[in-house]
Amino acid sequence: MKRTVVPMGPQHPVLPEPIVLDLVLEDEKVVDAIPTIGYIHRGLEALVERVEYTEFGYVVERICGICSFMHGMGYAVAMEEIMAVEVPERARWLRLIWAEMSRIHSHLLWLGLGADAFGFENLFMHCWRTREEVLDIFEKTTGGRIIFSVNRIGGVRRDISDTELAAIVEKLQQLGAGFAATARIFETDPSIRHRLSGVGILSREDAHAVDAVGPMARASGIRMDTRLTGTHLYDRLDFEPVLETAGDCLARVVVRVREISQSIDLIRQAVDRMPKAEGAPIEVKVRGLPTGEVFERLEQPRGEVIYYIKANGTKYLERFRARTPTFANIPAMIKLVKGCDLADVPNIIMTIDPCISCTER
Amino acid sequence: MDKDAFLARVDRYHRDGWRLAIINTTSILPAEGMDGGAFDISWSFASDQLIEHVRERVLPGEEVPSISTSFGAAFLYENEMRELFGVNVTGMALDLKGQLYQTSTIVPFAPSAIRARLDALGRGDPAPKHEAGAKKA
Repeated sequence: MKRTVVPMGPQHPVLPEPIVLDLVLEDEKVVDAIPTIGYIHRGLEALVERVEYTEFGYVVERICGICSFMHGMGYAVAMEEIMAVEVPERARWLRLIWAEMSRIHSHLLWLGLGADAFGFENLFMHCWRTREEVLDIFEKTTGGRIIFSVNRIGGVRRDISDTELAAIVEKLQQLGAGFAATARIFETDPSIRHRLSGVGILSREDAHAVDAVGPMARASGIRMDTRLTGTHLYDRLDFEPVLETAGDCLARVVVRVREISQSIDLIRQAVDRMPKAEGAPIEVKVRGLPTGEVFERLEQPRGEVIYYIKANGTKYLERFRARTPTFANIPAMIKLVKGCDLADVPNIIMTIDPCISCTER
Repeated sequence: MDKDAFLARVDRYHRDGWRLAIINTTSILPAEGMDGGAFDISWSFASDQLIEHVRERVLPGEEVPSISTSFGAAFLYENEMRELFGVNVTGMALDLKGQLYQTSTIVPFAPSAIRARLDALGRGDPAPKHEAGAKKA
């Protein structure tokens, strides 16, 4: 059969960021997909050559505007490990709380974009309105809505009072209760099920074979979540990853919907279990020049992120590398696109929650 | 590098059900006895909460075998290694032939490219080594 190549991207209504997939079609079936990225490659990793390690956190958190907090956190904890810095416990709890808030706002953002992609604009508006409330909490507690600059090597810059923490928990629980109706629509609406159920199925075996991470893997039944390592105080919380087994587009939506409720609960647990120590130290001053190397893993909203840092005893790092979850999920995306109908490609791409800025660095 | 031993080790990870977590390349700048510099390449594998690394130091131009027959997702890292660092990866399951990234600088992370940038910054010689670690106030 004659094959046709249809380039999808770099600009496409469903793509918030530029990526090209050359879709090789036989009739309406996709038989191959060749990715091209690089349209927004900024060479951020190369900036270690000219930005001192004390300032490089500002660069790292600008890798992405959605994962900004967790990129900043990942850099800080990696450097703290290299420099053997013991971070005050309150700072670690605050990081966990902001990290889970990041997951909530990222999932809400994606659910809105997803709803828009499968033609449910009203749902898009509900999700983004809810997300605004989370951003309001970020603004109140960090001073920023997108870039927070609240992490620093040795701790965090801002404390949150115990009273304010209690108010945040109450606010998030109200938000969760209000979002429940929207969540029900995602899980049960016939038009959504029609578009997503049984589409883009990634089996458990395939998810393992292509090394999928994050909600992508968990929607295929793989119990994989960096938070299970217990680092960053997750060992003090009751946590079990949200799993689905269908592996289709709908399962990936459902995992993210349920992770919003889970993150709200994790924040409640954190506030309950962290010592009431308002005014306690939230950072230690760090001096000296780092030597050594480290791999650091975090569970970002899109999945496992890995940072590699090599320091050589100067004020400039020798190497900084971020392997983002979207980078890890591109092979899964290609796997899913092969064999699907052309009309399903946008939804399949959306449900990996691609963040090309993160991937490009 | 001993390619056969390397591939056998990678294959063991595959057979034992580990996943590929990351392949990371670090350029080693040219130095005495290593005029063209080198690359430190780490292949990291994860299983449940464990992560292990296989590391090799290779010279520019030296052949590095693809592991994409065992770990299908490796092709992305390997294309990146070749495009950004100039590592000579051979046998990739999906060879994007230089189309993955559209960078204005050819192989921007090659040792010679980094050396040239550092020279331009007036940092031709590595900064003096200082005592490692941190002091807490």
